[in-house]
Amino acid sequence: MNSIVISSVVTALLVLSGCSDKEPVVEEKQEIAAESTVEQVTPVETETVPSDEASVMSEDRRYSSASSSMSSIEDGMETIYFDFDKFHIRADMQNRVTNDASIANGAASKYSLKLEGNCDEWGSDEYNFALGLRRSNTVKKSLLAEGVEANRITMVSYGESNPMCTLKTEDCWAKNRRVDFKLLP
Amino acid sequence: MKILISFLIAVTISFASDATIEVIKKVDSLPSLAVEDASVSFSNKFKMKFFRSLVADMNVISLFNVDRSHRTVDYDASEVVYENKDIDYVLRYKLRKDDSGALNIELKILNKNNIVFNKNYKVNNPKIYMFVSHTIAYDINKYMGEPSVEWMKRKVIFSRVVAPKKSELVIADYTLTYQHVVVKGGFNIFPKWANKAQDSFYYTSLDEKKPTLKYVNIRTAKSKIIKSSDGMMICSDVSDNGKKLLLTMAPKGQPDIYLYDVNTRKTKRLTKYGGIDVSGQFVGKEKIVFVSDRLGHPNIFSKEINSHGGVEQMVHYGKSNAACSAFGEYIVYKARESSNAFSRNTFNLHLISTETDFIRRLTAVGVNEFPRFSVDGDAIIFIKNYKAQSSIGIIRLNHNKNYLFPLKYGKVQSMDW
Repeated sequence: MNSIVISSVVTALLVLSGCSDKEPVVEEKQEIAAESTVEQVTPVETETVPSDEASVMSEDRRYSSASSSMSSIEDGMETIYFDFDKFHIRADMQNRVTNDASIANGAASKYSLKLEGNCDEWGSDEYNFALGLRRSNTVKKSLLAEGVEANRITMVSYGESNPMCTLKTEDCWAKNRRVDFKLLP
Repeated sequence: MKILISFLIAVTISFASDATIEVIKKVDSLPSLAVEDASVSFSNKFKMKFFRSLVADMNVISLFNVDRSHRTVDYDASEVVYENKDIDYVLRYKLRKDDSGALNIELKILNKNNIVFNKNYKVNNPKIYMFVSHTIAYDINKYMGEPSVEWMKRKVIFSRVVAPKKSELVIADYTLTYQHVVVKGGFNIFPKWANKAQDSFYYTSLDEKKPTLKYVNIRTAKSKIIKSSDGMMICSDVSDNGKKLLLTMAPKGQPDIYLYDVNTRKTKRLTKYGGIDVSGQFVGKEKIVFVSDRLGHPNIFSKEINSHGGVEQMVHYGKSNAACSAFGEYIVYKARESSNAFSRNTFNLHLISTETDFIRRLTAVGVNEFPRFSVDGDAIIFIKNYKAQSSIGIIRLNHNKNYLFPLKYGKVQSMDW
């Protein structure tokens, strides 16, 4: 699936070549100089490898290997949404979890479940990925409480890298704080 | 105000080597420098690319006020061009293509029409001219007697998200002028150089059933699987000798930091807190710093590798500090400055010294994250996302200057250098 592209150019490049407990003082003065000098550099023209997949909303949500029946069952499973910076199941999401658990124990009982945790665009660092994972883990615990077997469930976090919506609005970000369900053979 | 200034001056004298306050004494004006092009080969487009690259590099070494005017001259002319007669230093170069197509560069620096520095460079593939430009800047910085800017010659590896769950891993120079996609297709993130030689790297693949850490040797183009974990699997840091890794794994849905031995392939769990522990960074051989939400919000903590307890809070300023990098006594960290998601000032980088109480804010606008110290601690590289533009930034700590190099498309997810 992944193609590793190694260029001789890369090889050529290789050739070329105790914390205080006192009240902290914030020195505000530095803020000015930090950004004011940014424009000093004339932007250097960049040479990039063109992407043939630059479209942001072009994702096919289904696994290509999934059968149509698996896909249709998967479509019946409802996404669970979360509040900002939170990972507990909201009251209005409880029915969704119950519905998802009944599908998991019924039509989808022969498949494994993959819980995909997602975040809004508040950073792409490890902590944000961990938040997405905590959301997956919360949903997992709810499914376990509804009788789904633990060994059928795997989890992953995509952090902010799998947005359903890319507008900079509160409504849009709310759609990205979610856990999706995927079925695995 | 006077009291504050007096206080700052007094502290400056007391802690003159502290990078959190170093900027205060940098009040002298810089000498001027102009660049003269005496090239005899190559297209005008290529000549301008090289000129732009060299001017950018001369800016980044932060030793000169650089004139951006492109002026041409004969390489052997005894005097600088008329417009540059009052300039302190004139850098004159000649690009020449030889019979084999290689790029040859003759270069000299004139000070009052006297040659004070000269050197020749050659590279077989003119397309990687930007690395010659970086090397020239490195040499001139050295000639000026400044601390090494070895990091200018190093490569950056980053992941670029091009669509939901689709990314590519890219190797670039520090200005992103040179870019080479090394892993394309699929969803691959968190690349990390495997050693100082930068001939191999680790990355996380999210295309497998479980998040999987993979290793690629650039020289042999071979890839191998290191380890998988449910939930999360990220290589957060590599020890100086390349033999130990700090991993974030969550085998039971619980993100914790693990020490991985490259030779024995054994892992040792370093944190056991019931919340989030991520982003482990080596500090010397005995200690790590990491991000944890054990106080209810993310903050920076440290821990001895071989002790069972003893977690120490390292940062006492910032509402939400979710990423960090450490070098010696210094820690640079990302702090959330506003809980208003629509604020222009959401995440900024701050520098603290564990020896003093000073905190220096390093950025002012946008979402600034993924700070990484250079190998020598001279500079910090980071990602800035502002107004739908993703850039890599370089902070010259001792010169109080930031430089931004924008990405043409996609969004930088994470990077290492």
